[in-house]
Amino acid sequence: MSTVNSIEVENLRRVFTRRTPRKLPWQRNRQVNGNELCVTGSDKSGNQPKTTVAVDGISFEIQSGEIFGLLGPNGAGKTTTIKMLCTLLEPTSGTARVGGYDIVREPAKVRGSMGTVFSGERSLYWKLTGRENLEYFAALYDVEPSTTASKIDSLLSKMDLESKSNEPVERYSTGMRQRLAVARALLADPPVVLLDEPTAGLDPQSARNLRDTVRSLRDEGHTILLTTHYMAEADELCNRIAIIDHGRIIALDTPAALKAGLQEMHSLEVEVDRAPDGVLDELRSLPLVRGVESHASNNGLETWTIRVLTEDSRQTLDALLDLLRASGDRVLNMKANEPTLEDVFIALTGKSLRD
Amino acid sequence: MNNVRAFWATAKRELLIRCRYPDWFVAMLLWPILMPTFTVFATQALAGPDNSGGEVFAELAGTSDYIGFVFIGIVMWSWLNTVLWQVGATLRTEQRRGTLESNWVTPASRLAIMFGSGLTNMISSLITVAVSLIFCKLMWHIDLTFSPLLGLVFLLSTAAIYGLGLIFASLVLLVRELNSAVNFVRGMFMVFCGITYPISVMPHWMQTVAKGLPLTYSIRLIREIGLAGAGYRDVSDAFWILFAFAVSLLAGGYMLFILMDRIAARKGILGQY
Ligand SMILES: Nc1ncnc2c1ncn2[C@@H]1O[C@H](COP(=O)(O)OP(=O)(O)OP(=O)(O)O)[C@@H](O)[C@H]1O
Ligand SMILES: [Mg+2]
Repeated sequence: MSTVNSIEVENLRRVFTRRTPRKLPWQRNRQVNGNELCVTGSDKSGNQPKTTVAVDGISFEIQSGEIFGLLGPNGAGKTTTIKMLCTLLEPTSGTARVGGYDIVREPAKVRGSMGTVFSGERSLYWKLTGRENLEYFAALYDVEPSTTASKIDSLLSKMDLESKSNEPVERYSTGMRQRLAVARALLADPPVVLLDEPTAGLDPQSARNLRDTVRSLRDEGHTILLTTHYMAEADELCNRIAIIDHGRIIALDTPAALKAGLQEMHSLEVEVDRAPDGVLDELRSLPLVRGVESHASNNGLETWTIRVLTEDSRQTLDALLDLLRASGDRVLNMKANEPTLEDVFIALTGKSLRD
Repeated sequence: MNNVRAFWATAKRELLIRCRYPDWFVAMLLWPILMPTFTVFATQALAGPDNSGGEVFAELAGTSDYIGFVFIGIVMWSWLNTVLWQVGATLRTEQRRGTLESNWVTPASRLAIMFGSGLTNMISSLITVAVSLIFCKLMWHIDLTFSPLLGLVFLLSTAAIYGLGLIFASLVLLVRELNSAVNFVRGMFMVFCGITYPISVMPHWMQTVAKGLPLTYSIRLIREIGLAGAGYRDVSDAFWILFAFAVSLLAGGYMLFILMDRIAARKGILGQY
């Protein structure tokens, strides 16, 4: 593979305008009254358009033969980016090229040079069998008719679906549907494959298998863009990762380089006996602390874990414990970790990917 | 050719899905028999035991075969109904299934996909019409003469209605709600197009409205050609009006579809239910 770019994204931006859902007359009245109470003097129409900036001027390049990950929390703009690249959604501004074709000016050529796997399992015909689904889409992708049958057979066996190929998709498990969707994306042997949250909803074993499949696709020469909100997945799978939050790319590098940037940092994990909402802001304002987040410990006991990213744990630790005790939290456990991609995210945004 | 292939593949897909909902098949055969029958009895009652009402009717309608007259009106109207519903709902159905986007990201022509699933709808509604006609011949002994001209009129009507369906399908992409629009149009057609009565019995302004609706001409032509045995020369005016409707509705539907598809991509509503 040469080092040509398969995907080039330049300052891509997408704004959604939408009206707030219509209200019944008496509901609208109530809202107007509320506004008057606020005395802010804002206008009274309860139905003005709202704008959401889903993708806010992102740029990146994906080289041929690489697995590129878009990592970000819910609502970060991952799906919106994918939809613009696969020509379902027009960008508000900016440009992108897939396989050298402009997504706005040459949409048909873009569609011909990529396969897309959407998140969720509704993208297939549930009343058709797996094979019928593939036959149908092979016609739409205009796969050479004489080789269609053998192509479908080989994809079914590659995705481990042969035994179920003649059963309707409604009888498939989530993992099988996801594999069928991947098979469909590969029908035309496209140079570029887009995968939107390919492992969402899969059990750990199926997710692992799917990651193996993605790797084998890369080894066969496909260029892959995938989105995920699992850091471990991005870390394990991707050659390069763009971390995206609120529609902006806040970091872009190899997983190793992203973590190396935090080499001098320490990640402290403190387990406490109750939800520590009150002290988090105080913790954030401690000197040298770069990010704080907390989540339920997930250990069956009703405890919470606070994660603190600091430039020097020796200097932070004492103040941290003081603060916690002062607020009445009981410290149950504590450890220091190597920084992970999650910490990268915390360091960059001050919050967790889970939020 | 890619477009032809996509067209047939979509038609086959839709046929397969239909065959897996067998209740649809029963409805397809039962409805066309039940639907016209109840009006036929009503008409018979109005004609009176000595058929004196029938004579008046013959004068107004230009045919004494009032059962045939009513039957053709109703069959054509319910046919229009199904086509409007089904073609109009094509994109909506795909949106609901969640498969619209997977179709739209393929390089296949979107119009070929539209027409492909339309074909299956067309065939199923044609079967309905055929069942009605056979039933009507056997049960009510209606003397319908089939001719190439009749076939041509039917084809033109199909094109006109299909164009209308395309317009609906495109609008649905934007407003995501079909019911009220289809109900409005079929209500218009039911009242104005002279389904069970000659349009000459309506007030003048209603007749003017009727002249603006393609179904008026379809029904009139089929009655005149099929029942009264008229030839091309007798009906050429109505024939060309129907032709013009067919061409402009198809062209309008086509352009609207392209436009709405573009707007939908711009607004980002393709994937929404
Ligand atoms: N069609 C739409 N109309 C209006 N707003 C939208 C639309 N699609 C997405 N958004 C908004 O754009 C933002 C980004 O959404 P997007 O689906 O791209 O996020 P995501 O990163 O894929 O999140 P998730 O992990 O939940 O899938 C969200 O705030 C969302 O509400
Ligand atoms: Mg998403």
